[in-house]
Amino acid sequence: MSLDFTLPLVALQLGGPEIWVTRTLNGLQAGFILFLIASGLTIVLGILDVLNLAHGELYALGAYVAFTVFGGLIGLIAPSGGDPMALLFLFVLLALGAAAVSAAVVVPVGAALEAVFFRVGGIYERDEVYQLVLTFGLLLIMNDLIKAIWGPSSVRVAGVYSGINAIPVASLVGLNYPTFNIVVIVVGAVVAGALFYFFNRTKTGRIIRATAINREMATAIGVDTDRVFTLVFALGAFFAGFAGAMVLPRTSASLEMGVEPLVLSFVVIVIGGLGSLRGALVGALLVGLVENWAIALNPAVETAAPYAIMAIVLLVKPEGLYGTWGERT
Amino acid sequence: MTDTHDSESRSAGIDRRNLMRAVGGGAATAVLAGLAGCSTLISDGDEGDGNGGTGGGSASQVGTDPLNIGMLTFTQGAPGVLGIQIQRGAELAVERINGAGGIAGQRQVNLEIADEGQNPLDSYRQFIDEGKDATFGPVSSGTHETIAPEVESAEVVNVSSAGTVTTLYEETVPDPKYSFRFQNSDLMEAVVMAREAVNRIGAENIDTVAGVNPGYSFGEDSQRVFKLALEGLLGDFDVVYEGFPDLGTSDMSTHITEVNSAAPDLMFSSLWGGDAVTFLDQAVASNLFENTRVVSTVMYSAADDLSRDTVESAEVIAGARTYYWDKPDRRLWKPGRDLFNDARQQDNIGVPNPHYIAGYGCITAWATAVEKAIDVLGGYPSQKQIAEALEGHGFFTPAGYHVMGAKSEGGATTLQGSGTPGHSGRSTAYAGEMVWNEEFSAAALEDVNSYSPVEISPPPGQTGTEWLQSWRN
Repeated sequence: MSLDFTLPLVALQLGGPEIWVTRTLNGLQAGFILFLIASGLTIVLGILDVLNLAHGELYALGAYVAFTVFGGLIGLIAPSGGDPMALLFLFVLLALGAAAVSAAVVVPVGAALEAVFFRVGGIYERDEVYQLVLTFGLLLIMNDLIKAIWGPSSVRVAGVYSGINAIPVASLVGLNYPTFNIVVIVVGAVVAGALFYFFNRTKTGRIIRATAINREMATAIGVDTDRVFTLVFALGAFFAGFAGAMVLPRTSASLEMGVEPLVLSFVVIVIGGLGSLRGALVGALLVGLVENWAIALNPAVETAAPYAIMAIVLLVKPEGLYGTWGERT
Repeated sequence: MTDTHDSESRSAGIDRRNLMRAVGGGAATAVLAGLAGCSTLISDGDEGDGNGGTGGGSASQVGTDPLNIGMLTFTQGAPGVLGIQIQRGAELAVERINGAGGIAGQRQVNLEIADEGQNPLDSYRQFIDEGKDATFGPVSSGTHETIAPEVESAEVVNVSSAGTVTTLYEETVPDPKYSFRFQNSDLMEAVVMAREAVNRIGAENIDTVAGVNPGYSFGEDSQRVFKLALEGLLGDFDVVYEGFPDLGTSDMSTHITEVNSAAPDLMFSSLWGGDAVTFLDQAVASNLFENTRVVSTVMYSAADDLSRDTVESAEVIAGARTYYWDKPDRRLWKPGRDLFNDARQQDNIGVPNPHYIAGYGCITAWATAVEKAIDVLGGYPSQKQIAEALEGHGFFTPAGYHVMGAKSEGGATTLQGSGTPGHSGRSTAYAGEMVWNEEFSAAALEDVNSYSPVEISPPPGQTGTEWLQSWRN
């Protein structure tokens, strides 16, 4: 045996087809969570031209609100016992319901931030550095507010994650894989589809895209851009809050939880193209998948993988994979 | 740093060796008895009880102003799971000191806490700028590597609660004077877990090993020394996977998948706090424990945060560093029982864990060393004198008897046969099977083994790495 005491460089764990399916599922679920966060960041950037550093705190807020919502509802389900499939259904319903409620709670927060600090504060007309300082200030304020409401310690909900995983759905196809992660993938795919439908097929969505492409022209044809801006910011907050609530059952909500997803979301939107929703989806899935595939070759690349993808994309296509927002979602 | 100059002048005739000999004995004060958690633990005035210090000296010599001390620990977020335990332990120690009248019965102690998660180096420097009489912490190994050299420059005694990276006093600060650590190094707890793995699983049943450890110096160091210890105990084995997730990550799926894929006989982990909870929850969901036994140095730090489902489904052999609340049986050990009961009255403490005693112990080490120095000098000691009093200093806490390692020279322990890497604490260590405790609604340990310091610390003259490498010869 030879031991290497530097960073790990162990034998390749290539494995068989089953393990590659599992790695791919891991990548997809990580990618969809990332997409939910990055989508809000990118539409705010694409339409409002604001890089919102406080976006990660909206994600954290969603997780904390979900903690409160779960706390109120979990007692109704946990002791009930009964049919395992019914319990699985109840737990999934609880998780989705809590996520939706939490996201809905975060929406007015996002709308208020836009109305008070950006619009009334006249931040749109100012230099970008003011936006960065403002949103960084909002990040700190929101962090303190969360601490004031929920306390400094991390919080978690017991029972939901294990309740959903109690029925090993993936075993039906011979896989050992947590059911919760499958729920995340399905929900992520549905939300992504709904988001594209909204922007491509609905009148409101098209108005938003039109505003993104040419703000002056949209105003000239009667679009209330103030309302559009508030709507977009609230939409971004919704998806950040939804993502936070979705991850809570399998981890804890903590004050610092918004930082890493924010940084990775920046990476995603740079890869996909600043302000491109399609780019955010492709970028998020790319980061999730490559990170999980690469770790099989060498675990030490886990942290570096997303940044390596970004560097390659910037070298080959500096504007990102899908350019900017508006013409295409 | 009150009275420093005066007391240093008075002690001009006491060289270091004489001081060390002198502070080895001495009678107990109420403070010391209080910190030990039991007045009957030490004698009531006789010499040579091992917890020395009469607190002698008049009020004018010792001073009456409060002593201001600062501590770095994690007070929020995922690391707060163990950082708050450290804080509460330190607060109880200070409360007991002040309840007994203060240091030497006349100087109350004011403890200020700074969050280690927010610019810890700046907080440390602020403590120094404010003239703190002593500093404590940090918890993180990475932060400790940054702060320890600053401690030496500032020349103000620091006793860290953790920050256990093995190389701290071997490479980062090879000749420490003012920097001390209550806990021993990563090496101690990794050796405990290697021994536990072999004893409980059987050497013949361990051919393949994986590791999932925090992605910074502590995790890398722990994995390194665990492998060294295991190699010394087993000889050959294959390392099939080593993952180092970032601190605070919400998704451990990648690492769990790789461990499941490799299906090793044994997995080692030094994940702690919220990361330990996240890992165990997700490992249970992926049936990691079906094929793999898990041994962990500090997963028990999350005892209050683990759910019943997870504890009952996971099979973890967990270390408890220098303290486990029911070893010895607290019905038979009053200091332990009192500490346990007092701790459970504090906010955010379900059961006190090893980090609780780390917070308690680092304050105790300093306070008892100061009192012993006062006993010898007749006045409040200088920082240099406190540092010298701490070297080789033995003291009680409700977790038992501890010895602070003596000075190290050139990376090896040299003085007085302490057998401890320089300036690190030397204590009995514990490990057991993690189970659910219905009475306290928290994780507990069952079938607990204890390890004396000589079983888990290098002998004089050897670094930890040299010691472990010598096992193969």
